[in-house]
Amino acid sequence: MKTGIAFWKKEWMDLVRSGKAFLLLLISAVFGVMNPAIAKLTPWLMEIMSESLQETGLRVTEVEVDALTSWAQFYKNMPMELLVVVLLLCGIFVQEYQRGTLVLALTKGLSRRSVYLAKTLMCVLTWSMCFWMSFFITWMYNSYYWDDGIISNLWTAAVLFWLFGIWIFLAMVFFSAVAKEIFGVLAGTGMVLLISYVAGMFPKIQNYLPTKLLEAQTLLTESAVPEDFYPAVITAVLLAAAAGLTGMIVFERKRI
Amino acid sequence: MNMLEICHISKRFGDKQVLRDVDFTVPEHAVYGFVGQNGAGKTTTMKLVLGLLAADSGEILVNGEKVSFGENPVNRYIGYLPDVPEFYPYMTAAEYLNFCGAITGMDLQECKKRTEEMLALVGLAGEKHRIRGFSRGMKQRLGIAQALLNRPKLLICDEPTSALDPVGRKEILDILVSAKEQTTVLFSTHILSDVEKICEQFAFLHEGKILRQGSMEEMRKSCGQAGFEIELEREQDAAKLLRQFPEGIQRGGAYVYYEPGKGQQMEAVLAWILGEGMRIRKAEKCGLTLEALFMEVVGK
Repeated sequence: MKTGIAFWKKEWMDLVRSGKAFLLLLISAVFGVMNPAIAKLTPWLMEIMSESLQETGLRVTEVEVDALTSWAQFYKNMPMELLVVVLLLCGIFVQEYQRGTLVLALTKGLSRRSVYLAKTLMCVLTWSMCFWMSFFITWMYNSYYWDDGIISNLWTAAVLFWLFGIWIFLAMVFFSAVAKEIFGVLAGTGMVLLISYVAGMFPKIQNYLPTKLLEAQTLLTESAVPEDFYPAVITAVLLAAAAGLTGMIVFERKRI
Repeated sequence: MNMLEICHISKRFGDKQVLRDVDFTVPEHAVYGFVGQNGAGKTTTMKLVLGLLAADSGEILVNGEKVSFGENPVNRYIGYLPDVPEFYPYMTAAEYLNFCGAITGMDLQECKKRTEEMLALVGLAGEKHRIRGFSRGMKQRLGIAQALLNRPKLLICDEPTSALDPVGRKEILDILVSAKEQTTVLFSTHILSDVEKICEQFAFLHEGKILRQGSMEEMRKSCGQAGFEIELEREQDAAKLLRQFPEGIQRGGAYVYYEPGKGQQMEAVLAWILGEGMRIRKAEKCGLTLEALFMEVVGK
């Protein structure tokens, strides 16, 4: 336990000193501010564009924005933030294999399980930190500018999208234990996402797939109820746990 | 007591047999030279000891405990210095050693104390720069410091001097000799003079097989049976010498070489030369070097 914490501290140092921590905080802040900013600027932008739109035959009437416009923007932008965090963390295992830096740590008797858990925890915490930071920034601005009372299931929807990210990161950790190169990690994670997305075309199973969680924003307008997402939550949790456990077994026998 | 026992190990990568029935033991507090050409299987053997690879057959014991592939608890007895040690470039040397102490479960105070001791031992005390800017020699010295940090019972060094200049090599060899008091050293190399300088025992690995092993003492004893070479000032004296002691071989000019085991003692020959009033330019016992022995066993 103590040795695992020491390795985990090393992961933080890596994140901070490589400049990734600063970049992630900056990106999360930008994504957080962008949603209310876009919503706030939309009427003004439409006004500027109204003349040129009129020339094409479109008439712009008064555009009204509220908290929902900003939250809709939030759920449009979050997949992009998730992608950025994945790209910044996808080398967390593989770079150590390629540089050979893990060899010295492991030959000192540090357990592979500690290494695996420290890195997995690092991914989960980084994603959580980025997501919730963007969420809270958007939430603060939205509460200041508009009435957040018109939004339903605000927290439930956020937790569902955050869980989708956790599922993606556990898949990434699994492929990091299997693959030797970053390409393998990204290809594997992308493939899992694609399979879930394609499988979603079959109505019978779409409610059971983790990609269903991407529709979390439908909760905000009560187009859906939380119960609609329960099967997808169970699948995502089970798949994430299975990926985490099998990844650990693979990593314990991996040739490093 | 034996610190390391390698018992009939074999290893194959695909269709290439890398190790064939490798079998040797390293006694406690020895400096053991593991000699072989590049590609002989030295690094593979060391990785098997560290549990980084799985053996196809045989077993390895470190401090009496069996080595296992993957999760290898036996590694707590081992300090390892790879041929090219890789560190986290964003850390300083002291930070890296503190990290190594922490992951081995060392107490914080003890860790700080050992870090200072080790940095002083390898000449990196006061080095505040990050490892990113270190030279190869500095990395190698830091590699030794991290390997010795938690007082391992067995220090495994994989070609620690191969890529260094003569000064760097001497520094590393001196550190290894001083480490002998605390630990057992298994030292792989293809630089035979390094083995002659610091090792007490050695094994020759060639194409995955141990061809010869023994103590340097035994090897040196065999030097007593070595031949000798005499260079006289005048060529005609060499011819005269050969008439008196015809077992010799004239090697051009005034050089005469006497092979070992031909019955001639160097002292007797020299006494005769001096008695005849001949002048000697050089007289030398041709010791059987490790290099000569290695060439002999690998058949070159």
